[in-house]
Amino acid sequence: MSFAGRLATAVLLTPALLIVGLAFVVPLARLVGRSFNSPVGPFAAYAQVLGDDIYARVFANTFFFAVVVTIISLLIAYPVAFMLTRLTANWRAALFSCVLLPLWISVLVRTFSWMLLLERNGPINRVLVGSGLSDQPVALLFNHTSVLIGMVHVLLPYAVLPMFAALVRIDPALLRASEGLGAHRHTTFFRVLLPLSLRGVATAATFVFLLSLGFFITPALLGGSASITLSMLIDGFVNDRLDWPLASAASVVLLVAAMVVVASVGRFVSIGSMAGVHR
Amino acid sequence: MIGRIALNAFVALVAAFLVLPIVAVVPGAFSAQSFIRLPPETWSLRWWNTFFADPSWRRTLISSLQVAMLTTFVSATAGTAAALGIARCGPRVQTVLTGIFLGPIVTPVIVMAVALYAMALSTGLVGTMTALVAAHTMMALPYVVLNVGVSLSGLDRRLLLAAAGLGADPVRVFQTVTLPLIAPGVIGGSVFAFVTSFDEVVLSIFLAGPAAKTLPVRIWEEIRVEYTPVVAVAASVMLVLALMAAIGSRFAARKLSP
Amino acid sequence: MSAVRFQAIAKSFGPVQALLPVDLEIAQGEFLTLLGPSGSGKTTLLNICAGYLEPTSGHLFVGERDITGLPPRHRNMGMVFQNYALFPHMSVAENIAYGLQVRRFASEDIRRRVAGALQMVRLDGLGDRAIRQLSGGQQQRVALARALVIEPDILLMDEPLGALDRQLRKEVQLEIRRLHVSQRRTTIYVTHDQEEALVMSDRIAVMRAGRIVQLGSAVDLYERPVDTFVAKFIGESNLLAGIVVSLADGRACLTVSGIDQPLAGTAAPGVFAGSPAAALLRPEAIYNRAGGLKAKVLERVYLGEIVAVRLSLAGGHELWSRRLAGEFSASDIVEIGWDANVVSILPNASDEPQLGGTNAE
Repeated sequence: MSFAGRLATAVLLTPALLIVGLAFVVPLARLVGRSFNSPVGPFAAYAQVLGDDIYARVFANTFFFAVVVTIISLLIAYPVAFMLTRLTANWRAALFSCVLLPLWISVLVRTFSWMLLLERNGPINRVLVGSGLSDQPVALLFNHTSVLIGMVHVLLPYAVLPMFAALVRIDPALLRASEGLGAHRHTTFFRVLLPLSLRGVATAATFVFLLSLGFFITPALLGGSASITLSMLIDGFVNDRLDWPLASAASVVLLVAAMVVVASVGRFVSIGSMAGVHR
Repeated sequence: MIGRIALNAFVALVAAFLVLPIVAVVPGAFSAQSFIRLPPETWSLRWWNTFFADPSWRRTLISSLQVAMLTTFVSATAGTAAALGIARCGPRVQTVLTGIFLGPIVTPVIVMAVALYAMALSTGLVGTMTALVAAHTMMALPYVVLNVGVSLSGLDRRLLLAAAGLGADPVRVFQTVTLPLIAPGVIGGSVFAFVTSFDEVVLSIFLAGPAAKTLPVRIWEEIRVEYTPVVAVAASVMLVLALMAAIGSRFAARKLSP
Repeated sequence: MSAVRFQAIAKSFGPVQALLPVDLEIAQGEFLTLLGPSGSGKTTLLNICAGYLEPTSGHLFVGERDITGLPPRHRNMGMVFQNYALFPHMSVAENIAYGLQVRRFASEDIRRRVAGALQMVRLDGLGDRAIRQLSGGQQQRVALARALVIEPDILLMDEPLGALDRQLRKEVQLEIRRLHVSQRRTTIYVTHDQEEALVMSDRIAVMRAGRIVQLGSAVDLYERPVDTFVAKFIGESNLLAGIVVSLADGRACLTVSGIDQPLAGTAAPGVFAGSPAAALLRPEAIYNRAGGLKAKVLERVYLGEIVAVRLSLAGGHELWSRRLAGEFSASDIVEIGWDANVVSILPNASDEPQLGGTNAE
């Protein structure tokens, strides 16, 4: 490319690189620096975050939510993704709208809706009591259950889309071939459909797990005192305790966890494809 | 056959699970009481009056829209330029650049919020519109780059050569051929950018101040303490605006796609 | 007893009648081809046989047994799909072994049978290859091996050669024929290619618009087509449209506009005096005859062992001949003739506009 051509490329890239540099790279780098900047010693903040039993509970919570939400989302999303490949054009468009619609609405609004639905005098409890399924209102809110419901609701579309993308590429004749060769439907599922859609499942799992790890709004609003997650802990370090080294160290731990997830599956799934499904 | 029916029923349930809870907030906004019960026992518009009469709520809605529009403008221009720049690079540089631009997507939002808050504190930008727009633009940029990138990769290079061969200079080629053909990507990316900013909560909670407070931040603050149906009104307003953007982008996409 | 029997099998997709009630019996060990243009219902019929489609009405028998509602996995039929439908995540051997594993054969037995199947389709030693490493012809043979290794009662093939180039297609045709002759497995073969049908089949069912128009051997179809559609579909044909002026003892005379003498020929069933019909003249039946019909040479096409000549007759009719001798060039006038006993007078295919001119080459 000519010098003028290179210059044009540089000019085109500069504004975006400046934004990413100033609002992403530099703040993150400073945060990492700060995590080693405890007055007690360079690794003191990490020792405190990783050594404390209470914080260990929080890590366990965060991991638990991420794993359970991922599993539930995959189990619910797979049949939906499969269905999307089977429907006629109009029904497919309708189901697609149902899957995509939530992505346009703020997490805050969706979580608030769940608060109203799950509360003690909310509609779900009234149905439970009214139908005689339960004698008295059930505590649906401010516990692990409400956090799981809210998170699955928010993250489900991210599980459906990559799996649909994988399933739709499978030639339906392969399933017919399997059936014609004498395979039962379960065999066809486990030996043909699932292996061929595994990339999509892995992408979905990665995406959901990654987003679950850093979830903040939903557990903060729907969770109880026992369902504190790492992001809520970080929020507390910053806003309540004003302990920057601790907040930074906890953030770096979360960041590293996310990077490990991305790196360990990076060869298998493409981050671009995950981002491509966003919205 | 039974399996088929069970699958249909299951998927219908999931579709309901996805959609119904979103709109559940809307009836709450029409309550006549001072608390939210779904569905309300008596209905009224009183909380809508409250919302639009209260200057503090109005102000948050206006700053939300301002931040979202500024974010859309900045991220659409910078993102489109970046996508064009990436397309001019070799494959290896493309991979690196794409990786950099996708970074904000895979980074946990809370980490970004803390990092940006620290940065804003040391630069004195906390509570300013600038901080909000910068943060939102960083979040929205990847979607613009991706969308425009997809449009660009579908662009037939021979069209550009043909235009140049007919005597158009590079600027004219861009104006008359490239831009019209990638317009769906630019529009799509811009709508994403707008909604990303308009819906954004976590970064805003950390960066907003009394002077620049967006609607989601105000809702967040109210929910955490004691809330009245006016919060449901605010949430409904967000819902409706986001839906309008979604539908608008659908139409734009249909109209623009060749 | 027949191996497969379709009894008034019909299929409609919503308002569209894809298949009108079809009756068809296939003998044990027979190679039957369903031949027809796209949309004629041939693939629908095959898919009903395999169990992938349920007929709207009618019954399907294998031997004595009514299998109409039986799911495909219980039918023991081997299907070769149009684009092979080989499992991309399995090796060649794994693909072939699949049907055996599903049937819970012992692993030693599976190994032996897979090796045998590979040998049968001449792919020995390629068992560990991935599917994408194979050429189209090799993939086709894997699909065939996978369908045959389960020793199906019936072998079904849906345009199996469609994706191959011409040269390869000829080779595989002969190979399928060879396998059929050695194994005598009942086979239903779907194609739109008349040459494939003629080379391989014991009998051919020509299909059109959801029904079987004619069922017979290659010779039957070529020499005694039931109507103009079959005549056009099988072999090269010259068709001259006209009106039947006389009909007696299975012989008919046809007047053709622009030609002085009526054309005489063997009348097919469905030809009536006074009704429109067409005379079928195969290109190889037309030769030079002094004092015969005058025709102008339009072009000569060199086809290797023979030369085809396009002629124009009075009245704007065009004919192809493959037996004209002599040196001539375009616009020359030649005199041609044919033996009356090679001419067939055929009814026009139903709901088709009147035929004019020819459909050859």
